[in-house]
Amino acid sequence: MVTDLVFFTSVAILMISAMGVITSNNPVHSALFLVSCFFQSSVLWLLLEAEFLAIALIVIYVGAVMVLFLYVVMMLDIRKNQHKQSVSSILPIGIGISILFIAELIFALSGTNVVQTRDTGVLSNPNNTEALGIELYTNYLVEFELASIILLLGIIAAISLTLHRRPGLKKQEISQQVSVSKKDRLKVVQVRSGEGA
Amino acid sequence: MSVNDYFIISIFLFAIAVAGIFINRKNLILILMCVELILLSVNFNFIAFSEIYQDFSGQIFVFFILTVAAAEAAIGLAILITLFRHKKSIYIDDLNELKG
Amino acid sequence: MHLLLSLIFIPLLMSILVGVFGDFISKRLSHVLTILGVLISFICSIMLLNDFLITQQTQDILLFNWSIIGEIEFQIGFLVDSLSLAMASMITFVSLMVHIYTIGYMEHDEGYKRFFSYISLFTFSMLMLIFSNNLLQLFFGWEAVGLVSYLLIGFWFKKPSAINANMKAFIVNRVGDLGFIIGIAIIVYYTGSLHLGEIFSQLTSIEGQLISILPSSSWHAVTVASICLFIGAMGKSAQMPLHVWLPDSMEGPTPISALIHAATMVTAGIFLIARMSPLIELSSIALSFILIIGSLTAFFMGLLGLVQNDIKRVIAYSTLSQLGYMTAALGVSAYSVGVYHLITHGFFKALLFLGAGSVIIALHHEQDIRQMGGLRKKLPITYITFLIGTLSLIGFPGFSGFFSKDTLLEAVHLSEQGGSHLSYYLLLMGVLITTLYSMRLLFLVFYGSYRSTHYPLAKVHETPWVVTLPLLLLAIPSIFLGGLIIDPMIMGGYFSGAIFVSPENQSLQEFIDIYHGVIEFIIHAFVASPAIYLMLLGILISWLIWYKNYSLPKQFASLIKMLETVFKNKYYFDYLYENIFSLNIIRLGKMLHKWVDAHLIDSVFVLGSARTVQQISSKTRQLHTGDLTQVALIFFVLLVIFTAFWIS
Repeated sequence: MVTDLVFFTSVAILMISAMGVITSNNPVHSALFLVSCFFQSSVLWLLLEAEFLAIALIVIYVGAVMVLFLYVVMMLDIRKNQHKQSVSSILPIGIGISILFIAELIFALSGTNVVQTRDTGVLSNPNNTEALGIELYTNYLVEFELASIILLLGIIAAISLTLHRRPGLKKQEISQQVSVSKKDRLKVVQVRSGEGA
Repeated sequence: MSVNDYFIISIFLFAIAVAGIFINRKNLILILMCVELILLSVNFNFIAFSEIYQDFSGQIFVFFILTVAAAEAAIGLAILITLFRHKKSIYIDDLNELKG
Repeated sequence: MHLLLSLIFIPLLMSILVGVFGDFISKRLSHVLTILGVLISFICSIMLLNDFLITQQTQDILLFNWSIIGEIEFQIGFLVDSLSLAMASMITFVSLMVHIYTIGYMEHDEGYKRFFSYISLFTFSMLMLIFSNNLLQLFFGWEAVGLVSYLLIGFWFKKPSAINANMKAFIVNRVGDLGFIIGIAIIVYYTGSLHLGEIFSQLTSIEGQLISILPSSSWHAVTVASICLFIGAMGKSAQMPLHVWLPDSMEGPTPISALIHAATMVTAGIFLIARMSPLIELSSIALSFILIIGSLTAFFMGLLGLVQNDIKRVIAYSTLSQLGYMTAALGVSAYSVGVYHLITHGFFKALLFLGAGSVIIALHHEQDIRQMGGLRKKLPITYITFLIGTLSLIGFPGFSGFFSKDTLLEAVHLSEQGGSHLSYYLLLMGVLITTLYSMRLLFLVFYGSYRSTHYPLAKVHETPWVVTLPLLLLAIPSIFLGGLIIDPMIMGGYFSGAIFVSPENQSLQEFIDIYHGVIEFIIHAFVASPAIYLMLLGILISWLIWYKNYSLPKQFASLIKMLETVFKNKYYFDYLYENIFSLNIIRLGKMLHKWVDAHLIDSVFVLGSARTVQQISSKTRQLHTGDLTQVALIFFVLLVIFTAFWIS
């Protein structure tokens, strides 16, 4: 009973937030609606006993990705575009097609009844995090390592794309500073008496 | 509440996100956010099936999707910034270089 | 087997060595290598001939099958029999002589190594041609000798006349080759094989078949095939009317004129017809055609030799005329006599050409006989050998050419073939004409007084030994060979395994029956044939005109003048080809270019299709707005459509 209440409340907020993401005029508002979406999703995932993923969703998305989005929104001066048309002229077609798509998929879903087919007991481990960790570090080790490489690539790509070298920027060349020798800096001259300036 | 309801959530979330891509004329950031929403709807499916079949693969897959989505978001935003430097705009109507 | 392979392929190997690595080896090494190659080849061919004479065994060697299409096998194989071995011995010997001679002739030429590479390649190609046991390989050799001939006629490729001459030779030969390849196609169509032995055993299946060439007329397939093959032979052996390339080919270096355009390559046509004798024998129309073409060539081309002033061109026309004789012999089914004359002619004509080349070197590349004269004191060896060659050519009793030409005339005389009477008289007159132009050349070059103004007689001296040695070596067979081989080759049935003569066409047999040795043969010639008297008459006339400078009566002079114009213009063959055939073909080509190419293909197909695409794309490009939301919408619409397919 309580579960149902939590479920339907969360679903309602999730849908409203999702609509808010795509309709609000201010991108900051969109981002905040998206944060709400993630929170509600996290609650729904908890109901499906995916505790680790629910926490990870909040930590990764709300804590990192959405903050990144907000940073970018702040960095770019996008307010000046506000005077332009904010909703496209193909809105009716878009809404129609979307409704058609929903109808199609619900029709497809109604034809089949997906039921629980087996109970392997894998998910019966009350400690979801531990169970996930055992799987990840044994059966999915290679994929796990590959995921780390993808993240590394993401870091490198993001930095190299946004790295901006301004001309005339003064900065330290530490290797050159360290490898300098006495000869480069010091010139010893013999000054005869009476000839010096 | 049943597991099947999660599929309905997934369908609606997906449709809203896709509609968001083409009904907004504002900026690219919104499109990136919609992509995140699409990925979220897919994750719902995976977790629901994981529950139905009592199989961990679904959750593992969601884990990897989150990883890739994080990388994708970072790179997408980096591209966005580069684009803004070049065109001084991320307004979608200004991005029609491929016009025939 | 090994002997045969080294006989054929060593010249190729040497040619490649000298041709490819020419830059890295000295001139001396390049001629040593190629001469060694041809020498080995010559020795091998003599050994094979010796083996053959002992065992009398024809060998058909299959090297490998390189392709099989349907029922037809494409082979590389060799047929070693009396015909190919006789040819091979002559070819390798003359080739060897020419190789040695070239050292002297080309001494200061830039293309020295290239030349040696080419002539070795030629030797290889010619050997491939004659030893081939199937028509396709024969065609390969045929084309390869044509190619080398092209390269060598245009050897001095900076000279425009040489380039024109080699183009002419190549194009005229294409006309003949078209006939040849159609002939091969007909034979393959009816017999289903390219292999000579199989073709000859299948001949019953082609006999009696009809081909309708025009809707209202049909011909025997044998006749068409034979005539097509003969058209190929006409191109290569320079028979009328495809003879025009041979005189022009004299633009090439003289050793080449001797080797390719006198002794070997031009006789390939004769060889082909002799090789295909079982087929040709089935068609008397084809035989008559061959006979008439041959005797016409023999007579009319000889006449042209009378008015030429270039020493090499005189000999070139003489070659044409002699090739006509050989062809006529083929026409009366006396294939063995044709090949016999081919071989004796190969030696004495090579001798004449090399002698002419020797004169040309001695006079520092002067070829005009009006600028020569009285050279016999200055060039004794050249003179003697040239004299031997000339006597052999005109058929002076006892010399090599006498035997072959007299046998040939007798064979034509005794033949019952259609047109043989006309041919006989043409050939008899040809003997007189041969004598006239040969003696004219001899008298003008070696007798009288020296006429050149720009090259003093004092500077003329005998050519080096590398030039005179081949002359001497060629002079020997020019005297004796004919008398030596007439017994076995003609009378003894040496060619019985390679040449087939049908029982109706055994004209030669009557002559063989009355033959009683060489001495009787000479005596018989005085009694039975007018040829020898015509020859003596020719010597007398030419002695009067060109030695004594006895002027002709006035009434003759105007007639001669008129004839001379015709002769100088070579019966207007070149005029006909250039101004009528070529011009009209060019006109046709221009018309086709204007209407078909420019209007139909360019305007309609090429530009038209481009314009169509442009018009369609100018409409469709408007769909391509580059608008991100539209792209996303289209993508989504398609997704919805495909989902609808999936769930239905």
